[in-house]
Amino acid sequence: MTAPAVAQRAPSLARDLIALTKPRIISLLLLTTLAPMYVAGTPSWSVILWTGIGGYLMAGGANAVNMYLDRDIDNVMARTKLRPIPSGRLGARAVLAFGIAIATAATWMLGHFVNVLTSALALAGFYFYVFVYTRWLKRTTPQNIVLGGAAGAFPPLVGWAAVTGRVDLASIYLFLIVFYWTPPHFWALALLKQHDYGRAGVPMAPNIWGERETIDQMLWYTVLLIALSVLPVTFGVFGLFYFASALVLGGILLRGVWQIRTLNTRGESWIPVAWRVYKYSLLYLALLFVAMGIDRHI
Amino acid sequence: MSLPLTPIFWLAIALIAVSQVAILRSTVRAMRGATSASARRGIEWAYAIVPAVALVVALAATWQSTRTHATRLDLEARASQTSAP
Repeated sequence: MTAPAVAQRAPSLARDLIALTKPRIISLLLLTTLAPMYVAGTPSWSVILWTGIGGYLMAGGANAVNMYLDRDIDNVMARTKLRPIPSGRLGARAVLAFGIAIATAATWMLGHFVNVLTSALALAGFYFYVFVYTRWLKRTTPQNIVLGGAAGAFPPLVGWAAVTGRVDLASIYLFLIVFYWTPPHFWALALLKQHDYGRAGVPMAPNIWGERETIDQMLWYTVLLIALSVLPVTFGVFGLFYFASALVLGGILLRGVWQIRTLNTRGESWIPVAWRVYKYSLLYLALLFVAMGIDRHI
Repeated sequence: MSLPLTPIFWLAIALIAVSQVAILRSTVRAMRGATSASARRGIEWAYAIVPAVALVVALAATWQSTRTHATRLDLEARASQTSAP
């Protein structure tokens, strides 16, 4: 290979390797890892650094292995067909090796520089995402993202354990908040991409249950999420600032989901609102976790 | 400003209970609508029940913690009253 060819390929390979880790998704996972660390206590910079790097590598490894396992359907869906494997830029086995390698590095890094519980929880999240969600639930049940949501809910446990060395009720609530946030968040996207999922044969709720039932469940999961998000206040983890933030942020999410339901009932287009709800749900979770961190330090 | 913690707890519990029942009912309706074998329905039902049961366990632990926290706040309030000049 000539020198200019190597020079041209190097940045592209780096871009593809980064793309395998799904950096945009990981940014929210990192926030839900790091914010709980400030809720749990006052972490040192080295703990923050190693938990952040280890968390990124573990989640990135899970995402890369997910791309390996889903390479057949990624090729069919418009949303995913430009990923490195379906577009032919990277070989499937290389992607699998890359994912396992960085997850292994993360396991060692978290165990060595943070603590063993943090490493074990991060690894449990990896296994849950790869084997329970991707291999088992994703292609077999419309409730795939309900139970599979647990995979995305491990980061708060990881962040909490990094600071305290244990898992307690407060950290379980952070887990539950992400768990119950996942259905309204993901089903907003599933409503918008239902034809894509249908073509790939993935049994997402809108394709199996229909739009109306999916939207109803989004609504009830949002109510449950709001109620659950205020409960840590009752046993003294958070105070008034967080309580008000949870109600306001949750109220905006509920209003959006209610609008989708109203428009769907009237037979009007709910697509722009569903996009807004999907994007806002990302902001909701980020701001809720930021509010947790602020509340503990005011 | 102190928050009325016990009423907040019970209001949240009521909302969670109503939502959870509505989710289970919706899942049953959805399963009836979808064309699937009865064995498959049993699995789907289990998938819906598992998070609900886990949530009940978490809420029971929350009630214990809420009571402990309320008692501590009460004791602190009494101590500050008795120590006040």
